[in-house]
Amino acid sequence: MSEPTGKSFEQIMQDLNKMMGNLGKKSSGGTSSSEPESNNRLQMMLLILCVGVYAGISSFYKVEPSQQGVITRFGAYYGVAEEGPHFILPFGIDQVYKIEVTRIHELQFGFRAESTLSDDRARQESLMLTGDLNVAKVEWILQYKIHDARKFLFNALNVEKNIRDSSIAVMRRVVGDKLVSDVLTTDRVSIAQRAKTLTQETIDHYDMGILITKVSLQNVTPPDKVQPAFNEINIAKQEKEQLINQALGHYNKIMPEAQGKADRVLSEAEAYAVDVVNRSKGDAEKFRQMLVAYHKSPSLTRKRMYLETMSEVMSRMEHFTIVDAKIKGILPVWSGSDSATTAAAAKAATMEKDGEDKAASSATISSSK
Amino acid sequence: MKNMLVLAGSLLLLGLFLSSTYTLPEHQQAILVELGKVRGTPVTDAGLHMKLPIIQDVRYFEKRLLQWDGERVEIPTLDKKFIWVDTSARWRIKDALVFYRSVRDVNNAMMRMGTILDGIVKDTVSRYRLLETVRNTNDIFEDIKKNKKEAELLLQVDASDTTLEEISSDVDKIETGREKLSQLIAEQAHKDLQNFGIEIVDVQIRSVAYKEVVEEKVYNRMISERMKIADKIRSSGQGERAKILGQLDLALKKVESEAYRKSQEIRGKAESESIDIFAQALQSDTEFYSFMKTLDTYKSTLGKKTSMILSTDNAFLDLLNKGP
Repeated sequence: MSEPTGKSFEQIMQDLNKMMGNLGKKSSGGTSSSEPESNNRLQMMLLILCVGVYAGISSFYKVEPSQQGVITRFGAYYGVAEEGPHFILPFGIDQVYKIEVTRIHELQFGFRAESTLSDDRARQESLMLTGDLNVAKVEWILQYKIHDARKFLFNALNVEKNIRDSSIAVMRRVVGDKLVSDVLTTDRVSIAQRAKTLTQETIDHYDMGILITKVSLQNVTPPDKVQPAFNEINIAKQEKEQLINQALGHYNKIMPEAQGKADRVLSEAEAYAVDVVNRSKGDAEKFRQMLVAYHKSPSLTRKRMYLETMSEVMSRMEHFTIVDAKIKGILPVWSGSDSATTAAAAKAATMEKDGEDKAASSATISSSK
Repeated sequence: MKNMLVLAGSLLLLGLFLSSTYTLPEHQQAILVELGKVRGTPVTDAGLHMKLPIIQDVRYFEKRLLQWDGERVEIPTLDKKFIWVDTSARWRIKDALVFYRSVRDVNNAMMRMGTILDGIVKDTVSRYRLLETVRNTNDIFEDIKKNKKEAELLLQVDASDTTLEEISSDVDKIETGREKLSQLIAEQAHKDLQNFGIEIVDVQIRSVAYKEVVEEKVYNRMISERMKIADKIRSSGQGERAKILGQLDLALKKVESEAYRKSQEIRGKAESESIDIFAQALQSDTEFYSFMKTLDTYKSTLGKKTSMILSTDNAFLDLLNKGP
C-alpha cells in the first residue's frame, strides 16, 4: 500500500488482487487458483473490510459531561459509563443509552406555561379540598432530575406520569390536613416542604432513580367565585384600621387641649394663693402698725375713729329716723328728711324705698344700753 | 457444487443457531410458546438465552412498573356528599405466564383493571365519611388550637379579627384517613388481580372534588363565612373606636378632676396660711381688731339707700338728746 502515487485505479486493484490471491493460497492451502475464484475472494475481503470499518465506528462512543451512559450486553445491563470516549462490542451486542443526569426537569400543576392543557383540566388539577372541607386553588411546580440512570431506564415505564400522580396525590394529602385560612396565608412554605418530602418518599417506593430537587407553590388563592368574599375581609380590615385611626386622631386632638385647660386651672389657683397670702400679710402688717400707734392713746383714738366712721356713714345716707327711747313701738316718727312729716308718711316712704330697691341694704341700729 | 453445498450448510447452521437463541432486554420478561402452548416458567433475567429452534416462539412482556390511569368516578360518601374521585395505580406483571393466559396483553389488562379498581374505589370510599378521604391525620386540631391562641392574643392586643369563626362544624376527628383508604383499596385490588398475574404496587387517590352542585353550596358557605368574618372585623373596629373614645372620656375626667383637686388644695393651703397670719397678728389685741373691723363694716355696708331708725338713747345721739 506504500506504492508511489500516480498509479491508476486498475493497477491498485490488480495489486490488491495478487496479494489477496497469495493470501488465499496460503490460507486455504489449495493448489489450483483460477481467475473467477480470485475475484470472489476480492469481494469477500471488501465485505470483511466494510464490516470491520463499521464495527470500528459502531464500537466507539462518547459520553458528554452532562450524561451517563448505560451499557447493555445482549439486552442485559452491563455497566455505566461516565463522561469521556468509550468502546463497546459492535453489531448491537452492546448498546448504550445516554441519559441526561444533570438536567433539571420541571412539571407544572394546575397551570401550564405553554397552555397545552385545557382550562378545565388545569382547574381540576388546582382545586383541592382543605381539612375544613373548604376549597382552595393551589398551583405548584415540581423539579426533578435523574440521579440513577439505570433505575430510570429499567424500573418504570411512565416515570413522569408516576411523578405527576404522586405529586398530585401528595399535595392534596398535605393540603387536606390544613385549614383553608392557613393554606392561603401562613403555611405556603411548610406545605411545599412537606409535599417535597412526602413525594420523594412515595417515588422512592417505585425506585425510579429520581431525585426531587424542588417543590414550590405558585398561586394559592380561593376559588374564583369566593375571591370577592376574601377581598371583603381585607376591605373590612382597612375600614377597621380607619375607624381606629380616626378615634385615635380625635383622642390626640382633645387630650392636649384638656391638659392645657387643667394647667390653667392650676395656675389660677396658684395665682389666687399668692394673692390671698400676700394680702393677708399686708393686712396683718397694717394692723400691727396701727396697733402700735393705737396703744399710745387708746380711748382717744377709739372715739376719733368712731366719730369719723359715723360721719362718713351718716353723711352718705339719704334719710334716717330717730325714735325717742321712751316710746315703745315705732309710732311717733320724726323723719330726718324733709319729704315726710308724719310717721305714716315716713313709714310709707320707707316701704316705698324698700319696694324700689330690694338690693339696697337696710339696717336698723337700735341702742341696747 | 461442493462450495455451494458448504455455503448452504453453513447458512442453515447459522439460521438454526439464530433461531435457537434470543436476547431478553433488561426491561422485559419473556415466556416461551411451543406450538401455541406455553412452556416452562417465565424468563426474567435479561441477556442471551437459548430455546428450541423453529417450534418455540418468544412472547415479551414488560418487567417495569406500569401505570394505570383512572377516570374520575362519581361516588356518594357515607355522609351523603357527592364527590368525584380520581385514582391512579402502579402495577407490574408478576407472573407473565398467568398474565398471558388470562389477559394476553397490557391493554386488555388495563381494561380489566379499570372495571375492578373502579368498583373497589366506589365500595371503599362510599363506606366512609368525606372527611376520611380528605384528611390524613388529626393534625388539624393542633392548627385550630394554635389559631385560637393567636386570635386570643390578638384580641388582647387590639381585639382584631378572629379566625375562630372560620372553623366550621365540619371538622371532626377522623379514624382512617386518606392514606389508609388508598392502602385498603390497593390491598383489595391486589387480592382481586392476583389471578391475572398482576401485582398492584399502590393505588393513589389523586384527587377528591365536590360535584358541581355541592361545589356551589360549598362556595356559598365559604362566601357567607367570609362575610361573617368581615362583619365581625367591622364591628370590632366600631368597638375599638368606642373603646378609644371611652378612654378619652376617662382621661378627660381624670385630668379635669385632678386639676380641680390640686387647685382646691392650693387655695386651701393659701387660706390656711392667711388665717394663720391674721391670727398671729390679731392675737396681740383682739378687742381693737373687732372695734376696727366693725367700723370698717359700717363703712362698707351702710350706703346711701340705707334707712336707719335710731333710738335717742343711742350713744351716737347722746349730745343731741341731753345737750352739751
